[in-house]
Amino acid sequence: MQIDKDLCSGCGLCLWYCPGGAISLNGKKAEIDQSSCQECNICYKIADCPKGAIKQDTVAYEYPRSVRTYFSDPMAYHKDTLVPGRGTEEVKTNDVTNRVKDGEVGICIEMGRPCCGSTFTEVEKVTMALVELGIVYEKDNPLTYLMEDKTKGTIKDEVKLQRVISAIVEFTIPQDDLKDVMLKILEIAKEIDTVFSLGMITTLQEDGTIPIKNSLKELGIDYRPNAKINLGLGRKIS
Amino acid sequence: MTHSLHRRGSIDSLQNDYVVLITPAVNINHKESKSKLIEILDIVKEIGPVNIGSYDCGNIFRGATIEKIQNTLSETPRVRCVFDSYEKVKLLVAELKKRDYGLSVTISGLIDNIVKLSRENDIKPHSINLSIGVYGKVEALPDESVLNLVTMCGHGMVSERLVKQAVERVKKGTWDIDKAAVEIAKPCHCGIFNVERAKQILNKNLKK
Repeated sequence: MQIDKDLCSGCGLCLWYCPGGAISLNGKKAEIDQSSCQECNICYKIADCPKGAIKQDTVAYEYPRSVRTYFSDPMAYHKDTLVPGRGTEEVKTNDVTNRVKDGEVGICIEMGRPCCGSTFTEVEKVTMALVELGIVYEKDNPLTYLMEDKTKGTIKDEVKLQRVISAIVEFTIPQDDLKDVMLKILEIAKEIDTVFSLGMITTLQEDGTIPIKNSLKELGIDYRPNAKINLGLGRKIS
Repeated sequence: MTHSLHRRGSIDSLQNDYVVLITPAVNINHKESKSKLIEILDIVKEIGPVNIGSYDCGNIFRGATIEKIQNTLSETPRVRCVFDSYEKVKLLVAELKKRDYGLSVTISGLIDNIVKLSRENDIKPHSINLSIGVYGKVEALPDESVLNLVTMCGHGMVSERLVKQAVERVKKGTWDIDKAAVEIAKPCHCGIFNVERAKQILNKNLKK
């Protein structure tokens, strides 16, 4: 994003709306720190600048800066997956896709969420550490497209310093591997310069029981009382 | 993605918070799903969500209407909305089941409430996405009173600073609670930010 300084009145309204804290006032003019700007377009679309001083930058749609736009502005569609947003349809269509099957756990490590944002340097710390456990990353997740080598979990050099609101490291494991993977995730958490929100997907048993409930309990991990539940009204495929 | 998942707050504060997503699976059943979603949006409208939106035209606090959402549905359309009433969501799910659209329906909310709602509709839920928590540099996070509000937009479009400014404006008397809740809701394009819950949280925060 760019500020037209000739138009800017220095009212500071746009500062409130920027989720990345990238806008500041300098000499009574708003200024955007380009390295912190996540190209989410919130200042442009929502802040309603009274002077129309906020401008979209064409470079925001040119690779590699476009990565910021596609991972930060949910209104931008990934042209390869056709899926808007930062991840896949995960549990949303699991009754149809069987992405996470009985006996498996889908793991979603959402880097930068909440409030902190992330560069792909931080993301790479996670993706490289997890391949040591033989993790195979979800092929339809847009993050996987940014990997230089999926077997090593490395991210393309030109993307590493791009800052985004969040990016999701997504993969599926057998339920039996949950303990090892969770311990690794807890270890990685100490190494990163941001936060992540952790989600775990499983199919439900016939009586509604959550199959990983006891495994999580053994690890001393509580899940929140609120969750996202797929009601199973979609047409199943084999 | 998991945008309706990691909402924060006490059980009490989440009692009347139900995000409903209706999602055709891309390349499996998304083709010709548009007409079904238009019909579903009519049902949603009749029942009355507290917020609704779309990637294509934003949420109702930014001028979107259900008609506009219907007219701008993309080739991979979705319905996203939030309700503040158990009875309303139960009614919506009953209607979706009866009409048998074959599209995936997820509800984000308290697990016990969704299990109850499913049982009352004679539905066996298929799968669950659990929120396990936040890890890493958690000392960088704002306090819970802010997190409870910003996490209602799972895409992270609501800034911490906007919440703080809104609270300041209410304290100064420039805005009332309703105006503050609506302003905080505006950046959440999908329309899953529950403004009624936001008012309750703001009221509680201001009493502290």
